[in-house]
Amino acid sequence: MKYRKERLDRGIKARCEDIFALSSYREILYLAFPRVLPVAVLLILPLLKDVVGLYWEKVLMISCIIALLALSWDLMASVGLISLGQALFFGAGAYITGFLNHAFKLPPILTIPLGTLAGALFCTLLLSPVLRLRGVYFAIVTLTLPLLLARFIETTKILGGTEGMSGLSPLPDIWIEMYVPVLALLLCLFGFRRLINEDYGLVLQGIRDNDRAVMSGAINIYWFKAQAVFLAGLAGSFAGAFMTHYNQVVGMAAFAMDYSILPLTAAVLGGVGSFAGPTIGAFILVPLSEMLRAVGTLRVVFYSAILIICVVGLPEGVFHYIRRKYHQFERMVEVG
Amino acid sequence: MGKKGLLALGFLVLAVIIGFPYAAVAQLKPGDPIVIGVPTALGSIEGRDGWMAIQMAVEEINAKGGVQVGATKHLLRAYSIDTREHEPGIPVQDALTATEKLILEKKPHAIALGNFRSEVLLASMDLMSKYKLPYICSIAMTPLFQKKIADEYDKYKYCFRNCLNSPYLAMYMTEVMKFIGKQFGFKKAYIIVQDTLWAQATGKGLDKWLKENGWEVASFDAYALGSSDFSPSLIKVRAQKAQGIVTFFDMPQSGILLKQARAMKIPALLAGFISPVAPENAWDVFEKEVEGMVNMQFEIGPVPVKAVPKSVAFNENFGKRWGKEARVKLSGHGPGPSYDSIYIFANAIERAKTVEPDAVVKALEQTDMQGVVGRIRFGKDHQVVYGVDPKEAALGCCFQWKKPGTRVVVFPEVVAEGKIELPPYMK
Amino acid sequence: MDCRKIMLPSIIIYGLINSVILALIAMGFSLTFGISGVANFAYGGFYLFSGFLVWMLLNYLKFPLILAIMVTIGVTGLLGFVTYWVILLRVRGIALSEVIATFALGVGILELFRWMGFVTYEFTLPYLKKGMILIAGVPVDYQRLFIIGIGLGLVLFLYFFTHYTRIGLSFRGIAQNERTAISLGIKSDRTAALSLAFGSAMAAVAAIVILPLGIISINTGYEVLLIAVAVGIVGGLESVPGILVASLILGYAQVITGTYFKPEWMMVVYLAAIVLVLGIRPSGLFGKFKELEERV
Repeated sequence: MKYRKERLDRGIKARCEDIFALSSYREILYLAFPRVLPVAVLLILPLLKDVVGLYWEKVLMISCIIALLALSWDLMASVGLISLGQALFFGAGAYITGFLNHAFKLPPILTIPLGTLAGALFCTLLLSPVLRLRGVYFAIVTLTLPLLLARFIETTKILGGTEGMSGLSPLPDIWIEMYVPVLALLLCLFGFRRLINEDYGLVLQGIRDNDRAVMSGAINIYWFKAQAVFLAGLAGSFAGAFMTHYNQVVGMAAFAMDYSILPLTAAVLGGVGSFAGPTIGAFILVPLSEMLRAVGTLRVVFYSAILIICVVGLPEGVFHYIRRKYHQFERMVEVG
Repeated sequence: MGKKGLLALGFLVLAVIIGFPYAAVAQLKPGDPIVIGVPTALGSIEGRDGWMAIQMAVEEINAKGGVQVGATKHLLRAYSIDTREHEPGIPVQDALTATEKLILEKKPHAIALGNFRSEVLLASMDLMSKYKLPYICSIAMTPLFQKKIADEYDKYKYCFRNCLNSPYLAMYMTEVMKFIGKQFGFKKAYIIVQDTLWAQATGKGLDKWLKENGWEVASFDAYALGSSDFSPSLIKVRAQKAQGIVTFFDMPQSGILLKQARAMKIPALLAGFISPVAPENAWDVFEKEVEGMVNMQFEIGPVPVKAVPKSVAFNENFGKRWGKEARVKLSGHGPGPSYDSIYIFANAIERAKTVEPDAVVKALEQTDMQGVVGRIRFGKDHQVVYGVDPKEAALGCCFQWKKPGTRVVVFPEVVAEGKIELPPYMK
Repeated sequence: MDCRKIMLPSIIIYGLINSVILALIAMGFSLTFGISGVANFAYGGFYLFSGFLVWMLLNYLKFPLILAIMVTIGVTGLLGFVTYWVILLRVRGIALSEVIATFALGVGILELFRWMGFVTYEFTLPYLKKGMILIAGVPVDYQRLFIIGIGLGLVLFLYFFTHYTRIGLSFRGIAQNERTAISLGIKSDRTAALSLAFGSAMAAVAAIVILPLGIISINTGYEVLLIAVAVGIVGGLESVPGILVASLILGYAQVITGTYFKPEWMMVVYLAAIVLVLGIRPSGLFGKFKELEERV
């Protein structure tokens, strides 16, 4: 006697993935639960700082920052731009913010938005020539740019050189430190999800799937790609801008490989193309890597292993897997 | 959408279980150990050796029963965490998170050894004042550290440093160059440094001094971290007939500078600091090519100086505790001060009769004791005073590699065990 | 003055050496990419792996140098081959996955070595032959002459290999038009795996001749990838003449910067060149215009 697994969609799903026919509060709750719960948890966790401890609040904050970078990675991936250098966005935002604060003594409330905008603009301009190239070429260029920019700062000694700029203004209070990244993450997460389902997002995905078809629709794909990079740059640069004031220091390490590898791993682990996936990935990866701190450098080897295993063996990612399980019944049926 | 919620919930539960609110443990109950936290770059040679030296000091103190705090004796316990900050790609915040993890989990009463990279040191000072932890740094050398303490004493008074800093290093080197100029009639030097703040600052200080004192400085070159081809400068040394090459490097790659100079048969005396040349085993590692090099020893200890008995004892005991293999690799910067820092803490805590941070800081400021590096006293800016006499101040020294593979101390004169000689290829 | 007289020859000679070093590093990466379209981001990892392997064979197993070199080149080539069959075969054609998988593999190898403690200055490879000669008054050590020799030899070898041997011709066939090549009986996967093996073996050759000049440090691995990629971007990734020309340009530009300006500005040359080339000719000086039609 042989069995096979049969999967059935739940009844509320009408016709396609995203349209639901709801007939009761239970079903509304069923749909709302997975959306509301993480939001609620993210919003409540900072309130519990005395219970959770400041160290884990810090981990929460870093998770948010990495999640932001992962989101920005995912947005670019939705247009078919594979980036190996999210650190570019992070570093640009961090340095511009640090410079504004260091040179003009602007308060964080001005420097962070300005740094975010200027960082995104800078990256878009820097990457705009490469947008004509697809796939691997883009990845190669994004890999080199942050590393070379760090070297550039090192040799030219501009922006503080190897020592960086320290003694920057701290964030005004602990609530801002904790809530700003959480709110920014939620804004980006739901904003990007919304965006990608609008007509605008369809164009972006169209560019990824078949750029010539989109071009034949008289759409300037480079302009759209540039916009996508700018939006992704906003999320990434904000992460950098915020961390600059949080650490009160900005240095060459703002372009560190960690800021490229972690978001990438988070996105691949969580599931590419859904925005929720990379967020989940970041919230698994960052706390995990804190626990793995004892093993030191071996952590990075773990990330690499996770990356390879996910890419080769689990290409859909954690999020898509969980979503499937949540939305479908599974049962064993007899065959033959 | 799915079980994202569950995951987040799991995260919350996990967070509640693992993290618990930090409460400063200012009072010791009888039987409680005094905890010393050692967050440092364990992968670097300075960090590795420093941590071994600290464990040794802790064992020695515990073997004598521990530290007398008021009426009770308490054992010492040291915990380390790897901040990995010697790797250029590690973000500052990652190193700080490591430090904070150590602080929150082990609840140390003091921090020793500490930061490797200057920017991390500067950033971690805020962390130390947040948790009110007395901190003695033994690796990072930036002079900005003292400036920060001088500017905001009340905030940063918890931070101390007992290793050499860049101005002191330049001071030592000017003395050595004065000596070399006088003895061999050299007039032309070529400065090659690593492109980091401490090395640049030291090089510039020396450059200024040389020019003011009748030397000609052929050129001043800096190399980025990780460079391993120094031939552009070496060709110029040869072309411009410089007699002395002054170097300041602490990256592992710098050892190759010496090898390249020998391979190209550059007829000039090498003086300064090249970290791989400092340890006892450099003679073998460089296949005797180090002969004649005049190298700084930032703080004595790894090089035993007979005039300071504790440095000789340290060197021997280190070999006994960790094996000859570890002793011959002892780095030129860090081990002596890290070892001392534990004794400084023990001494200060005994005098303060408590581990309460402000009292310990007060006691630390009044420190006056003999250690591995000589006499230890903190200046007003919380930097240990270095000088040329071990009876008056802490000591760095200069040695020259001579046959048959020994490091002969040539400077300062008070403790010198030999004279600087021209290397065989220049005779 | 003597000083001026020696400057020009030294720039010519050391510029050439530097160019050959860059070309040696970039060639393996470009070869793999040109044939199979796989950007082997594990290149830096393989480079360093072969350096450490030689060191371990010499110091732990006391192999003679020549044997250690042979074994290392073989093993690294095999590593590339296995990488293709175990990892890349499963994600072939998905650019995203290829890039991530090789990149992760490279970082994994490098960080594993770091974790194992291969971080100090004891890790140096021996010169093939010690000593030096004076060429036009410029001191040049034998190792650097070897580098020039091996670099030139490798270019010639590649030329003859790809034009006159069966495997070499199948490489070019796949590179020119994969489908036609398949229809003519050339096995695509086998050729791609071989191209990865060749690229990796070339990384090993480069490592063995270049690493004795410095020490084997983990960051060299990242740097090598950076150099390979930078040269590739400037010259055009899949084009061998492009790589050679770009190496000459970058190599001489660096040495001139180092001699007349400041040595620390040598790294900036890459950035300047990349930004310039991207602005003017995004596909590289010799690269084919690959905006839409090709996979890359």
